Amino acid sequence: MFWDKVKSRLVGSTDKSKVPTRTAAGSGLILFHVVEDAIKAEKVIKEAGYTCKLVAPPPSLRKGCDLALSINLVEQAIMERLLASSEVPYVGISPLEGTTELLQIVKITSFDNYTMVKAGNMKITFENDTGLIVNTSGGGCPDIPYLNIQLVGKKLSEAVRPKELGFTLCSLMLDRAFEKALSIWEGEK
Amino acid sequence: MLLIAGIVPAPDLPLIKGEVKADNSSLIIDGKSIAYAQGTSAMLSSALAVTKHLNIAPPQALLVGDIGSGTGSHFLYRHLIDNIKKISPDVLALHYWMPHLELMKELCSVIKQLDKKPIMIADAASMYTAKAVGLASMFDIFTPDSSEIAFLADADAIHPAYINQHLFSCDISKAPELIQKAYELKGAAKLLLVKGAIDYIATDGKIVATVEEPNVPVLECIGGTGDTITGMVAAFVHAELEPEHAAIISAKANRAAGKMMGVTPKTQVKEIINYYPQVFQENLCSWSGVCIREEIIND
Repeated sequence: MFWDKVKSRLVGSTDKSKVPTRTAAGSGLILFHVVEDAIKAEKVIKEAGYTCKLVAPPPSLRKGCDLALSINLVEQAIMERLLASSEVPYVGISPLEGTTELLQIVKITSFDNYTMVKAGNMKITFENDTGLIVNTSGGGCPDIPYLNIQLVGKKLSEAVRPKELGFTLCSLMLDRAFEKALSIWEGEK
Repeated sequence: MLLIAGIVPAPDLPLIKGEVKADNSSLIIDGKSIAYAQGTSAMLSSALAVTKHLNIAPPQALLVGDIGSGTGSHFLYRHLIDNIKKISPDVLALHYWMPHLELMKELCSVIKQLDKKPIMIADAASMYTAKAVGLASMFDIFTPDSSEIAFLADADAIHPAYINQHLFSCDISKAPELIQKAYELKGAAKLLLVKGAIDYIATDGKIVATVEEPNVPVLECIGGTGDTITGMVAAFVHAELEPEHAAIISAKANRAAGKMMGVTPKTQVKEIINYYPQVFQENLCSWSGVCIREEIIND
């Protein structure tokens, strides 16, 4: 009975052999251990004003239950925050296509009294003497200009983390750069 | 008309539209002050510097406040979809907004039906969205950086953070093969300006020019230096330069301004834009053949 109710809310076909097509929400899936968590998550996300849809995950991404939430993958950061704050457990967030891991590559470049840390396409530059964030650059997500304003001029040790401020994948990548920059700065102190 | 559409990080800003003006402290659009910053305001500022120098009509802006939640972006898509026929820009440059696949498809569908299709330029999330919905080839110019070209060359990726690891390299030297692959996979616009330590300009799968000098590595640190290049490209195309020439000149101008100013990692993008008038004054004539002649007429 419960499963029938759930199935009636699935997007498109309930034939689980079919990969769901891209939705308006678009191209990312939140995976869950149990169906109840997927339902709870849908409620939390929609109440926060974001778009999501219950779908059947493709076999290649099935890690828990047979129900997932289709989301706009770019909004991964805010989805993670919403689920954490409402204590809804989930297995993970994956793109519907392509690779399933965020880029892990971090590169460090030194310029005289400054250090630039690059994670994927996101860069954060700080002053070695003070730990002051002097610039952020890279990335094309809509929270990038906002993060730049929020971070530049603040000390690494005092700034709010990008993943707490931002909404998108770019903010998660910038957070990786921030985390590395902070560890370098704390190591140098 | 050159129309530049994008979001700015001012959460309470409603949708505004109008001619771009500027004073010392901010851009002025539709009576609202827009702070000079990374993103679409940097793009507008650089485009305005070009139009002022060439003494042509300034860019028109369509902006909305959005700090990344996507709320304002939806108004922007909807306004463009509903009004693009009436606005009828000659050049349409799309910039930062929340990628929304269905709305992007709808916008492109409306544009295809116009009597005269504008020259279409995309950067940042607009470029991501165009590629993700398989409509990259409808665009005339993309301006990716060295990471974003790897995304355009990855058939499966829907965001630069999820590209195949083997495609990704911080080293711009991989750009030529990625450019070729992006065209093969139809992930590229007609012209690509790949911004990096070496700037590559490519059309139809072939690299037609590179810009390497002056080499100013510090520019990579400075947020908004990619936005300014795209803004200049849009304005030079608006001035009826061929896209290839517009891309070459813009790449050169950004480097020249960085060198002229003596940028450091803490330089902010607006400080570089302030040097564009001098860069244009000293170089544009020789770079492009576009020469501004001032005549003093005595009565």
